[in-house]
This record gives sequence, C-alpha cells and structure tokens, in this order.
Amino acid sequence: MTLGPEIRAEMEQIKQRYPDPRSALLPMLHLVQSVQSEVTTEGMALCADVLSITPAEVAAVATFYTMYKRRPVGKHHIGVCTNTLCGLLGGDAVYAALSERLGVGHDESTPDGKFWLERIECQAACTHAPVMTVDWEFMDQQTPASAIDVIDQLARGEEVRSTRGPVIRNFTATERTLAFPDDGLAGEGPVADELMLAGLRVAQERGMSAPTAGQGN
Amino acid sequence: MTLAPETSDLINVEIDGVEMNVPKGTLIIRAAELIGTEVPRFCDHPLLAPVAACRMCLVEIEGNPKPQPACAIELTPGMKVRTQRSSEVAEKAQQGVMEFLLANHPLDCPVCDKGGECPLQNQAMSAGRAESRHDIPKRIFDKPVPINTEILLDRERCVSCARCTRFADQIAGDPKLELLERGAKQQVGVANDEPFDSYFSGNTIQICPVGALTSSSYRFRARPFDLVSTPTTCEHCASGCSLRTDARRGEVTRRLAWHDADVNEDWNCDKGRFAFTYLSQDRINSPMIRENGELRVASWPEALDVAARGLRSAQGSTAVLTGGRLTMEDAYAYAKFARVVLGTDDIDFRARRSSSEEAAFLRASIAGDCGPTYADLDKAPIVLLVAFEPEDESPIVLLRLRAASLRRGLRVVALSPIASRGLEKIAGEWAPIAPGADAGALHALAQGGGDVPNGASIAEALRQPGAVILVGERIADVSGGPSAVAALAAATGARIGWVPRRAGERGALEAGALSGLLPGGRPLDDVHARAQLAQVWGVDAADLPTSVGRDGASIVSAAAAGGLGALVVGGLEPRDAAQPAAMRRALDNAGFVVSLETRRTEVTDRADVVLPVAVVTEKSGTFVDWEGRRRPFARVFGDALMMSDGRVLAMLADVMDSSIGRGDVKSLRNELDSLGPWTGARAVAPSDSAAAEQTGGPLLVTWRLLLDDAALQEGEPNLAGTRRRTVAVVSAATAASLGVAAGQRVTVTGPAGSVSMPVEIGSIVDNAVWLPSNASDCAIASLGVAPGQPVRVSGGAA
Repeated sequence: MTLGPEIRAEMEQIKQRYPDPRSALLPMLHLVQSVQSEVTTEGMALCADVLSITPAEVAAVATFYTMYKRRPVGKHHIGVCTNTLCGLLGGDAVYAALSERLGVGHDESTPDGKFWLERIECQAACTHAPVMTVDWEFMDQQTPASAIDVIDQLARGEEVRSTRGPVIRNFTATERTLAFPDDGLAGEGPVADELMLAGLRVAQERGMSAPTAGQGN
Repeated sequence: MTLAPETSDLINVEIDGVEMNVPKGTLIIRAAELIGTEVPRFCDHPLLAPVAACRMCLVEIEGNPKPQPACAIELTPGMKVRTQRSSEVAEKAQQGVMEFLLANHPLDCPVCDKGGECPLQNQAMSAGRAESRHDIPKRIFDKPVPINTEILLDRERCVSCARCTRFADQIAGDPKLELLERGAKQQVGVANDEPFDSYFSGNTIQICPVGALTSSSYRFRARPFDLVSTPTTCEHCASGCSLRTDARRGEVTRRLAWHDADVNEDWNCDKGRFAFTYLSQDRINSPMIRENGELRVASWPEALDVAARGLRSAQGSTAVLTGGRLTMEDAYAYAKFARVVLGTDDIDFRARRSSSEEAAFLRASIAGDCGPTYADLDKAPIVLLVAFEPEDESPIVLLRLRAASLRRGLRVVALSPIASRGLEKIAGEWAPIAPGADAGALHALAQGGGDVPNGASIAEALRQPGAVILVGERIADVSGGPSAVAALAAATGARIGWVPRRAGERGALEAGALSGLLPGGRPLDDVHARAQLAQVWGVDAADLPTSVGRDGASIVSAAAAGGLGALVVGGLEPRDAAQPAAMRRALDNAGFVVSLETRRTEVTDRADVVLPVAVVTEKSGTFVDWEGRRRPFARVFGDALMMSDGRVLAMLADVMDSSIGRGDVKSLRNELDSLGPWTGARAVAPSDSAAAEQTGGPLLVTWRLLLDDAALQEGEPNLAGTRRRTVAVVSAATAASLGVAAGQRVTVTGPAGSVSMPVEIGSIVDNAVWLPSNASDCAIASLGVAPGQPVRVSGGAA
C-alpha cells in the first residue's frame, strides 16, 4: 500500500503538534507502520520531505528504536518479555512455546503474515510477570498454555481481550493509535490495579519515603 | 568549535601536578596538549563539537568518583586533573576502553589503507595490551559498502566515534551520513537509496581515526610510509586551500587537506582532494611545430627559433591570452613578456566570460588592494553575495560563512534570481532579483534599499563597520554590474571581496596580466608607474606601451577577423570562453599562434608552435587566493624535466634578443616583490549605467557547478560519480505557464542550439530558468546565449 496524499496531510497534522517539527518524527513513523505494517524506504523519504530533514536522519531514528520494523509485521505483533524477572518467572518458557508453535524465532513473522514474534525488553509490568503483549496490549501472568491459547483464538479470528480489558485489534490499528493517541482509547482498562499498588500501600502504612537528594548513605 | 575560547578570563587549574592558567571554558584535552600531554582520543576533533562517544580519553578528576572524558569536560577553577601520565586509574580506564574498542576490530592492519597512519593502531600500541584476551568471534559485516562513489565503508573497522557523521552535520551541512542501528549493531550508513551527497565528503576519510572510511581511488594503492609528502596549494579554485600531496614513484597517489587555521582550517572540497588524475593525462612532452598543416615533434632550439621568428615578424600586432590557472609568477612572466618582448599591452588572463567594464573594476577596486579575509567574514555584521554562489564557486568560503552563521548567526544575503542549496545551508537570506538586474538592485541598496526585498535593512547593515560584499566573476555578465558594486561599496563603506572561480585569477591580476594594469596594481597609463617598471625591468620607459591595450574580447574579435599577427596563448580552453566559436576562429585566423600548454587541447590543435610546460606538481609557485593572500607551494616532483611557463618565456625572450630575466620562480617572485605596492593614484572605478531590463523570457540563470565537465576533473570517475544531477530549475508559476511539471523533460533553446534535461521546481524568480553551465549533458556555451538573456523552454526532449 502506498502512502497517498491523505497520509502526507496527516503527517502535516502531527507536525503541528510540536514546537520543533522534527519531534514529530516518532509518531510519523508509527503512522507509516499503520499503513504499511513496516517502515519502508518510501515512508522514510516522505517523513524526511515533510520535516525538511534528510532520509539518512530519518533512517538513524527508524533503525535505532526497536518498535520500528523494516519488514512487514503482519496482522499481530506478539511480544514476550524475557528480561530477568519475566524470564525467570516463565517468560523464557512462554517464548519457547510460542516459537515452537509458530515456527518462527525472534523478530520473524509467520509465512501467512499472521504473527510476528519478538523477545521484548521490560514493559514495566513486572508485578504481572511473565507478561506477553499482543499488538502492544498486555497479556499478564502468562503460561505457555495460556499464551498458545491466545494465539489459537487469534488465528481462528475470535475476539480476544487483553487481561486488562481492551479488545485486541491488530498491529496496524495499534500503530494508528500511537500516531494519533487522542483516539479516545487511552482510558480503556485499569490505570493501576491492586498488585501494582501493593508496594505503595506498604510504604504508606509504614510511613516510608524516598531519601531526598544529598541525603544518601 | 572546541579550540580554546577567545576570552581573557583565565582560571587556575592543575594537570598532572602542573599548575597552569587557561581561558575559562577550555576543555581538559586541549589544556593537556598545552603541557605536551596527549590524552589518547578518537572522537575528539578540535573543529567538531565534543561528543565523548569513544570514551578513550578518560582521565581522573579530583573529587570525581569515576574517570571522566577529557574531550568533553571544561576546566573549572581549581580543578585538578590527572591523566594517564600520573594516574593509574586513568591509565587503567583507558586500557579498558581500548580493549573494548578492539573487541570487534579486525586484525587486518597489514591490508588496511590506514595502517601506518592510524590513530587506533598507534594508540593500541601506547594504551593497549600486547595480547588480546578475546577468543570469541568478532562481529563481521559485508564489505566494503560504498557510501558514495568516492568513499568505501568497512563497518567492522568502525569504532563509532561519530567524527564523520558530525562532520557531515556540523561542518558540511549535509547530514546524509548517520549512525544507524543500535548497540552492537551500531554502524555508520546512509539512507537506502541516497548516497552521501556532499561536496566535502572526502574529509570524512581523512578524519576517520580508523580505516573504516577509505577512498575508492586510493584504496590498496600505497602504504603511508612509502609516500613522499609535499605541502601544496590547491589549483582548483580561489579558496586557496593548503593541501598535502602524497606521491609514490613519480605519481600523485592522493591529496589531503592540510591544516591552515587562517584559510581552510582542516578541510577541503572533493574537487581539490580527488581531481588530480588530469596531471598525468594527455601530456605534451616535447616542443612541436606545425609543418604542412601537421604538428611534428621538434627540438627546443628549433621550436623556440620558429616561435621567435613568427612573433618577431608580427611585431606590433601581437597579443597574449592566458588562462586563470597560472601561478602568480608565471602570470607575471607573461605580463612582462607582453610589455617588454612583444611591446604590447594587449593581454588578458580572463579566459572566460568577461567584460571591459569588469576589467576597469578590477584595476580600480581589486588589484593591489588587500581585500577582506576569511577572518573578516567570521566577524562581519553582514555578508552580501553578488553574482556568487559560494558552495559551487568557492567551497571553503561556504564553510566559513556556514560556521559563522551557526556560531553567531552571521547575516548572509544573496542578491540572486535563485536561492541555492548553499544559501540554505548557511541559513542565508534570499533577496530575489530578476536575472541580470543586479546593477539596479545594487544602486538601490546604495541609496538606502529601494524596492530590494528587505532592502532598507540590508543597506543599513552594509553601513556597519566590517560589512563585506562578496562578488563573483559572474558580475562580468551584468552590464553596469561591476560599476554598481564599486558604487555600493563607496556609498556604504563595505569592503569588496572579489571571488573568481579559478586559482590563478587573483595572482594574474596582481602580476599585471591584464591590459592597462602593470604588476602590483599599477595603472599603465600612469607615467610614474611605467617609470618604476622600466627601472626594475631594466628597459627604457619610452619602450613600454603607454596606452591601455585591448582586453580579451577585443583581442579575440580582432584575431577572428584576421587582424592579428600573432597570439601567445597559455593555459586556456576555448570552450570556457564567452563565445567558444569566436575563440576557435581567433585561433584559426590569427597569423601565428604560440601555445604554452601542459596537454593536448583545442589550442594546441590550432597552434603553429607548441611549447610544453610544467603542471603544478612539476614546479613551485604561488597562487593568490580571493583574499589576496599568497599561497606558495613547493614542487612535488623535484626530478621533473618540465619547465614552468616563466622559464619557457625567458628562453623565448632570449631567442628574440630580448630578456625577461631568468624566468625561474624565485627571481620572478623577488622581482615582483621588489616593485612593492603601488602608492600612487588608483584607476577610477567604472560608472557604467545599469542595462535596461530584459524582456521576453524565460531569462537564463547559470553558473558552473563545482563538479562538472571541466578539463581538470578528467580521468576521475569516482569524483564524477558525485556530480549533481543535471536539472533545469524554474518557479512553480513559470512551470505552470510553460505547461511543464516537476520531473518532466524540458528543452531549453537559444539561438545556436538547445539542451534538454528534467525540470525541477525551486526557489527561483518567475520568468527565469536556471541551468548548470558545464554539465556533461548541458553545455550552456552551445546555446549561443549569455546569462540574463531570454531562452525558449518547451516541454519534452529535443
């Protein structure tokens, strides 16, 4: 799918959100992914043109951040956190099971274009370890069996909900949200649950506070 | 810039126990250099902003828990620093960084171009371990990757210092080379389909502290320690770059930018760096004389004798045409030869588009005058560009303007029909004018601004002390233009910097290779000036020409009409002339033509006698840059058999029973110096009125791109690969009125011919079309139309 004049117009719109135009590059690249499921050379050239920077400067950004892909992701992006905590609590096993089931490895997509598998870095959700993401929506406290169940449901085209509420859409829809976050979906699901706040409650009960600067040991 | 800041505010610091006072803001690494301590470094470069990317320069700072990068930390009062010389912590930190840098660096020094002059190799010796502790496989990449046709990248050698990417962004203003990917995969690269398109790209090879960036044409050709290096001056333009020419076995292998803080700092352009293959191509090695219509090889005595007889029999009807590439000394020899031996003032060095008004302007306002310098550009309140595109026509001027623009917001205003890419890079202001309307606009500025866009504010800025007008040689195409520049300078007090394209033009002007102008800026029609010359030259003043001779255009038309007995021609190409066909006719119809040339040209093809002369590597000499600064250079090949133009002219003078002295570089230079500066009255600046506005159209706007079809760039395909694409540029409105769209081919037609190329919509005034003057597929001279004149533009190929 090529990037038509309406995409350029939307890029111009994103550009208006920032005092320094080149700040708009990150959401613009997400917009490219929302159309093409990857950051194409065409997409980088368009961003460069809209922002009056060089394609090389765009490439430097697009190749630095791992959320920008240079091969089509396909329908669903499956991420499994394999950093220390998630990995030890079962993330490695979840990843291995998915990899075997899908027949692909890290940063690879299935031949039918339905799934892209990726070992992802910490999602700041260690309280719910091990976590998996589907199109960047959380699937908390997964097991190999539950993760495969999610994949199978998605493969059958059934509705799947994040363990935190929102309905899973698809990768390009999420990318669209990242380009235009004001789509009203931000409030979906809980902001914080009991597990996430447990530590805070303990600290409050015991009157604990963070040391102020210069007070360290 | 990270050189010591200009401040008198000194602070007391201590490095390795040595107390010292340094200007506030000095970086640790610079201060350490002052006491002879070299902290090892890769990413640090005095002309680039600090980045602390390579971490090699770690030093210990008292009170700081961890070692800090010396290249990025400014000294503060009382700071105590210990480098590897006095601190084990610093030494160990540096060794650790070196070990990391070498973890993935290949051990291919024996086949790497950088081997022998490599900071990584050298510093691995001083700060590394003798044996590696790494036994895991190193990271490998496909290699080499071309980042443009001139430069090859071996990614596995890169230490991610970001010198090249910072150069591209901060100095050249072409941020098309970037660090891509992240972590262990981090690598230098370009965008998928966009090569590193920059006139200055070759500098990245030179500042790469490892062998990651190498030159396509120099790759695998020599070891640094087999090269013989000579300090030279670039012969390609009037920027005056200091170069280092490296040669091996009688051949130039490469040229590097050499440090000169006053002129080119540490940089040069790709033309100066790569265009030297012409030096050894198509050379003429022996004198030749024409016999029965054919040139045949002759001995020196025979050729000189034939030349002398030809010139003597034409005495009284001779002229001298030289190109803009001669050294000051050679130009002086021609100037003296014309006046003393031939007895004529018919001489002109401007083998390009020129006018008699321009000649008058040069005599009055430029010759013998010390104009503004690069340093003056750094400080100027405003720089007005007139008929001058710095990036194409004097690239180091562009770098200086850009540096000043970034550092302190120097105001640069281009009075031009088109806003160039160079102007955009220096964040310059565009004061649009119709093609050829320069003179009117300059007069308006002299009178306070008139209807020039932003005119009042420009005119006011020009009145501030230190204001500079940079005028290019293209002003010669504007009738009334040179006069208007002089008038604007007189009205505002701004100083004029004349920036010709060719390296030899300013020197030729100072040497008097222009009718009406004797050496040292002396007016020929001044009796005292003639007397001074007569004394130094040892001739009778009465024998010197007394009235101003003909300029190039008149000489050419006289010769073309068959009215010239003999022509002495040195170093010019008919295709550079205002009217190439007329120049060829002049050479055909002149009674007798003596050509002093380095290689076969259209001139030698038409000459009666061809005398071979030395190229720049075979002689020493001096170029005078646009500032009027002398840029002497040494001979690269001391054993070359070729003689300079000066020596050959001296021999010819001898055979003609006259003399211009020995003709060697030293005596010519000494003689010119002994004249001293002219202190008498100067010629009066011309006051031609501005030409009437052109009608019809679109009007032609054109200049020569830095990289084009020029003779001195021949034989270097890698350089040619970085030429800009040939396009015609028109405004959106003009495109609409012509019925053409961007990317479509158009044909531009003049009275004599037409050229066709794709069209681009750009920042250019309406009813104008810009074309490159001398691209391989766009030779403007073939159109038979002067810049500023109307052409026909139509959609479609010819």
